[in-house]
Amino acid sequence: MTTNSSHGIRSMIRQSLITGAAALALLSVAATSCTDLTIEPKSTLTDANVFNDPGSYKGFLARVYSGLAVSGQRGADGRPDISGIDEGFSQYLRLLWEAQELPSDEAVIGWGDVGLPEMNTQTWAVTNSFVVAMYYRIYFQVGMANEFLRQTTDDKLDARGVTGTLRTEIATYRAEARFLRAFSYWHGIDLFGDIPLLTETDPLGSTPPTQATRKEIYDFIVSELTAITGSLPSPGAATYGRATPAAAQMLLAKVYLNAGVYTGTPNYAGALTAASAVINSPYSLDANYRRIFSADNNSSPEIIFAIPQDGLKTQTWGGVTFLVHASCGGSMANATYGIDGCWWGIRLKPQAYNAFAAGDGRRSFFVTSGQSVNITSIGDFTHGVAAPKFTNVTTGGAPGSHATHVDTDFPVFRLADAYLIYAEAQLRGGGGAATQALTYVNALRQRAYGNASGNISATELTLPFVLAERQRELLWEGHRRTDLVRYGQFTGGSYIWAWKGGTAAGTATDPKYNLYPIPANELIANPNLKQNPGY
Amino acid sequence: MRPRRFVRNTLPALLALFPAVAFGQGGTIRGHVTGKTAGQPLPGVTVSFGSRLTQTRSDGQYVLGNITGRDSLRFRVIGYAPVARLVTLTAGQTTDVDVTLDAQAVALAEMVVTGYGEQRAGNITGAVTQVSADQFNTGRIVSPQELIRGKVPGVQVVDQNEPGGGISVRIRGTTSVNASSEPLYVIDGIPIGTGAGGGLSAGRNALNFLNSDDVETITVLRDASAAAIYGANAASGVVLIQTKTGKGRPQVTYTTSGSASSITRRPSMLTADQFRVAVTTYAPQNVTQLANANTDWYDQISRTGAGQDHNLSVTGSTPSANWRVSGGFLRQDGIIRGSSTERVSLDLNFSQRLLDDRLEVRVTEKGSRNLDQFTPGGVLSNAAQMGPTQPIHNAATTTGYYDWPGNTLQSPDNPLAVLALAKDRGTTYRNIGGVQTSYMMPFLAGLQANVNLSYDVARTDRQTFFPSVLHGQLKSGQRGSDYRANQSQTNSALETFLDYTTQPLFFPGAIDLTAGYSYSQSNAEYPSYLATGLSTDLLRGNGVTTALTTQNVEDVQESRLISFFGRFNYNYNDRYLLGASVRRDGSSRFGTGNQWGVFPALSLGWRLSEEGFFRGMSSVSDLKLRASWAKTGNQAFANYQQYATYVLGDAQTRAQFGSDYVTTIRPSAYDPNIQWESTKATDIGLDFGFWNQRLTGALDWYDKKTDNLIFTVPVAAGTNLSNYLTTNIGSMKNRGLELSVGMPLLQKKRGVDWSVQFTVAKNDNELTSINPVFGTNAQAQRILTGLVSGGVGTFIQVLQPGQPVNSFFVYQHRFANGKPVFKEGAGADTAMYVDQNGDKVLNQDDRVPFHSPSPKLMLGHTSNIGYRGFDLSFTMRAYMGNYVYNNVSSNLGTYSEVTRASPYNLHASVLETGFKTPQYLSDYYVEDASFIRMDNISLSRGFNYRQQPIRAHVTIQNAFTSTDYSGVDPTAGLNGLDNNIYPRSRTYSAGLTVRF
Repeated sequence: MTTNSSHGIRSMIRQSLITGAAALALLSVAATSCTDLTIEPKSTLTDANVFNDPGSYKGFLARVYSGLAVSGQRGADGRPDISGIDEGFSQYLRLLWEAQELPSDEAVIGWGDVGLPEMNTQTWAVTNSFVVAMYYRIYFQVGMANEFLRQTTDDKLDARGVTGTLRTEIATYRAEARFLRAFSYWHGIDLFGDIPLLTETDPLGSTPPTQATRKEIYDFIVSELTAITGSLPSPGAATYGRATPAAAQMLLAKVYLNAGVYTGTPNYAGALTAASAVINSPYSLDANYRRIFSADNNSSPEIIFAIPQDGLKTQTWGGVTFLVHASCGGSMANATYGIDGCWWGIRLKPQAYNAFAAGDGRRSFFVTSGQSVNITSIGDFTHGVAAPKFTNVTTGGAPGSHATHVDTDFPVFRLADAYLIYAEAQLRGGGGAATQALTYVNALRQRAYGNASGNISATELTLPFVLAERQRELLWEGHRRTDLVRYGQFTGGSYIWAWKGGTAAGTATDPKYNLYPIPANELIANPNLKQNPGY
Repeated sequence: MRPRRFVRNTLPALLALFPAVAFGQGGTIRGHVTGKTAGQPLPGVTVSFGSRLTQTRSDGQYVLGNITGRDSLRFRVIGYAPVARLVTLTAGQTTDVDVTLDAQAVALAEMVVTGYGEQRAGNITGAVTQVSADQFNTGRIVSPQELIRGKVPGVQVVDQNEPGGGISVRIRGTTSVNASSEPLYVIDGIPIGTGAGGGLSAGRNALNFLNSDDVETITVLRDASAAAIYGANAASGVVLIQTKTGKGRPQVTYTTSGSASSITRRPSMLTADQFRVAVTTYAPQNVTQLANANTDWYDQISRTGAGQDHNLSVTGSTPSANWRVSGGFLRQDGIIRGSSTERVSLDLNFSQRLLDDRLEVRVTEKGSRNLDQFTPGGVLSNAAQMGPTQPIHNAATTTGYYDWPGNTLQSPDNPLAVLALAKDRGTTYRNIGGVQTSYMMPFLAGLQANVNLSYDVARTDRQTFFPSVLHGQLKSGQRGSDYRANQSQTNSALETFLDYTTQPLFFPGAIDLTAGYSYSQSNAEYPSYLATGLSTDLLRGNGVTTALTTQNVEDVQESRLISFFGRFNYNYNDRYLLGASVRRDGSSRFGTGNQWGVFPALSLGWRLSEEGFFRGMSSVSDLKLRASWAKTGNQAFANYQQYATYVLGDAQTRAQFGSDYVTTIRPSAYDPNIQWESTKATDIGLDFGFWNQRLTGALDWYDKKTDNLIFTVPVAAGTNLSNYLTTNIGSMKNRGLELSVGMPLLQKKRGVDWSVQFTVAKNDNELTSINPVFGTNAQAQRILTGLVSGGVGTFIQVLQPGQPVNSFFVYQHRFANGKPVFKEGAGADTAMYVDQNGDKVLNQDDRVPFHSPSPKLMLGHTSNIGYRGFDLSFTMRAYMGNYVYNNVSSNLGTYSEVTRASPYNLHASVLETGFKTPQYLSDYYVEDASFIRMDNISLSRGFNYRQQPIRAHVTIQNAFTSTDYSGVDPTAGLNGLDNNIYPRSRTYSAGLTVRF
């Protein structure tokens, strides 16, 4: 018994030593690791390291630009910028085009996607997905530009030791970011009226902002553009795709032309001056009208500001990819347009088709075979003349680099528009010379007809003529709604077109549709906002 | 006595640091406790001698050391009559005392696995259900979750019908919108995954690595107080799975089964004749495209699925060790061609006791390889869409299969060409293992230290290949695609805890204290490669093909969870029970300032049947009232949400600057303060047992409120870097009732034994708010969800305060003569649908929430009937109030589908509705999918062949389903969207179990 017991004690001691050692070891493991919960991302850049690479400034600015061209960070869809809508639908240009063209007399789209049919007929709801997405796209751009400006303040650059050429380049980048912000704010007040004004001085994640008036934002756009024009990169092949001083002047011209709508006080003189500045910049009318909408339109001398696309390098389901595919259907052969298939979507409303005279070369691409002029069923692609204005084929006839995603860039601003702004501003008393206006208009007519047969006389140059000529020259380029609003014809009964108000023949519509509604969700997320009248 | 008092009073925390040597001289009592009827060893019996106390181990053995004197040696365990023996012990003496206990209500004595320990079923104060192997569902079982379907009240097991397909489990409803609502799985004490769910897999159910033949018990911690010991991972409930261990003499068991599955219901598409009539009437321009075949495309893609399952296990034990080694092979073909699953698995459990049985080491090791073949994408939808008048083959095409002429986007693909030429497969290797050591401290009886080390390594290979010659590739312009993802994940955990059981001197009752620390880390990599526009199809995805575009993705995901936890259980004579626990969790997923969360729980139990006033009522064998409150968390959301990250664009999203294409960098919207979702839950329950537990059951009422939901909500435009931000906002509630009853219906009546079990569960889910800041306006806040086929970006469901999560969001169709109204032309929309806001315009503002996919009531029934050596069992299940959106019907139930460039086949609903344009948002397609289903009928019989026991069984799964739902299956999928889902099978299987 004694031996047994002493053996037991020894083993107990041994055991407790083992236990103690094990417990101590565990506690020390616990003590060293228990406070460390920080695991930083490894396969993603963070604010802690992104600007250690000087190239990141350019990459960030490029993202502000690409907000107009792509919808996310991976291929044509993937890692989307905004949520709540199909990513392909969410692309800036596609939404802008739909907001400007579908409710006007120019286009219908045949698809039944939720919210889309109402865009054809001026009957959208405050929750309309396309209206909502347009609003958020505008503020996505504003948010990106503001954050770029926040990240490139002198203080931040000093702190990161940025000097020399990079510092100079960043100064240019900042001007470009401000241009892009002003560009989107213009769409904001044009489509939605009174909206919040957020700048880089508002901290990220701030409380809901107050609503600015249309005029306050108009003033902001004007002062920003005035301030940055001199700092933007000069035009040329090396800066294609970027905003030049001429782009800023063009934006000013557009904003001034519509000043009466935005502020109640017109500024046609400002529009004429800005348009003249553009005209005096190194751009010229493209002798080949069709080149402006072809896969090699980056070589067109007429384009002042483009949203570049590339079949391999800049892919999207929106933009010109959408325009080329959706314009194709019926008996049309997709290969003709350099694409792999038709989407059977958009056609002309009869009023737009009828606006073109027989000799006008700007209708040469219309497809009437197998299509009717009148539209009895919007869902049927063969109702309405097809208008494949944009193609993925070069002027030499070669298809683009990719059959789904096109190479064709979108001409946001081009010289012809500046000519027509000059003419309209002149007619509206903005100064300038009537003969000059006529020359500009006839330059476009001559290109369209291939000779002087389409030229007009001084007495024929009237405001209604300019509006009609804008439709012919700039058809489906995303200007129509703004133009009709400026002429007071977009809503109401002064001008009725097919499917306006929801009937095949068209009816008068409520003037509330001159503005899109502030999205219903936005009114909840930001209780400071007041809905537009009538909604 | 002084040193001992010191040790006891300062409690275990200090003990690990100061293992004071405090041994006196004394005697030892040891012995073996068994149950009287079966002679089985009884574990966990409290053995006390004076103030000294211990419990019997799993083999019924106990040792009480270092005691002297004369006192009663008491044996007590719930469910058995207590026993006392007078023992006199002198120093240095060793006495053996073996006892047998009389059973009173055995079920109460059953050990139930709880987090970090075990408890007697009768002493549990939370809502916990343990299902053991003999109660499991039988037949063709690929995934362990299928074992308990219909067996536990309030637990919804939703599969996707594919063999081994993904399984979702909802315990007491959905608790989250954007984080996972899957429960936490703990297998043999090892928490799986990185929060909730089963971890990494190549696309099928992640728990398929576990051979269900190896499972001994599955315990569901339904209420928050029981689950709360798992803190930030517990909000969706916890499922504890224990695998089998070796018992008794060495034994070899072989089980095998074979099965055949066939399709039960298929979508109602038009026949060739009906299709021809539709095309002739509504799209005469397309008639010339029609051929004269009569092809049933669904017949062509489906088949009888064969299955086989083999398991061989070797088990055994010695007085100080036990082991079980098993190997399994399972193969199951799906009823749709191209789908199958195959598993090779190995499971090892070894347990050894050392150092006078004080130290127990248990090693577990589970490894498996799962090989999954998937039906390539588009086969099911194209089988529905492909014209039945068209032939299968066409010798003139590149593929040899017929396709509609032209490569227009407006025609379906031949599903048989896809089946023959495309491939989609995944391989998952997984290995989970651990070493669990527990050590009974020699200087203080009842104190046990536990250290568990575990790891979970998974590696997957998912591969899809679509050759460029496929019609679908030609028409979409993708021109061949090759995708490969090689994901890997390594999780490791250290868990250490002390457990102290005692009956203190200074007050009555027994206490059980647990305190621990847990550290777990997950490292994962998700690289993938996608190439489109393949230069050749010859390599079939096995090599790198030159491609027009390639996308390479690498994603590193790491996370860490560090926890401290403690639990206090108090038991006064099995009459008054109290449980309290607290867990403090720190997670790398939480933002600065929110890194630690505290999750407390309190539960009380009062066994009324132990009270004097119940003593007289001999029919009442158990009556226990329970009440609990707890707070649990959910951290099953993405890593790194609190960081300001910048996302690099890929090569296809560059921006053109002159001739330069610049790779872009996008800052992401983020919330630096992201934290856990928090669920506070109350549960009131009653456990009852009558006539010596012949009739037993439990009734529970619960109320769960989840706050700080991880929600992706719209933010004021321009204030952040996107229009939606993932943040902690919004709340949800689930409230319900659960009842389970088990009883014998017949006992040895003309040789028949028949026992039945019923479960009833009712749950009401409501999203109470999305953004509470905006007060009453919050009612108007809506987030669309539930993407369906038909148009682009068509969402059929809504998240809206005051409604159940994922309520359908539809126009209210007007009906005439029992049919939905259809009109065309101006004013048609308001003639067809109710203009809810009366503004004379029908648009998105007129949609209303309408029912939801969650069942309001779930009923389960199991019967076990024994007759002359035959055992017949069946399991039935019924859901009531669950709705499904029939997307096949809404997408293809319109004549406009035949007017496409090449006509699509139509859903037969068009014969009733006559729709000529699609009506995706009509409530007509939201169907009541309530059903009753005979899930399982099994007949088995045991017999001896040359003295070897053999058991044979035949089983029918999904014998019948009765429902008004018109689609293929009212139960597939959690979200209530039926868009060409995999159809449900009826499975016949037969099997044998042989023991040597």
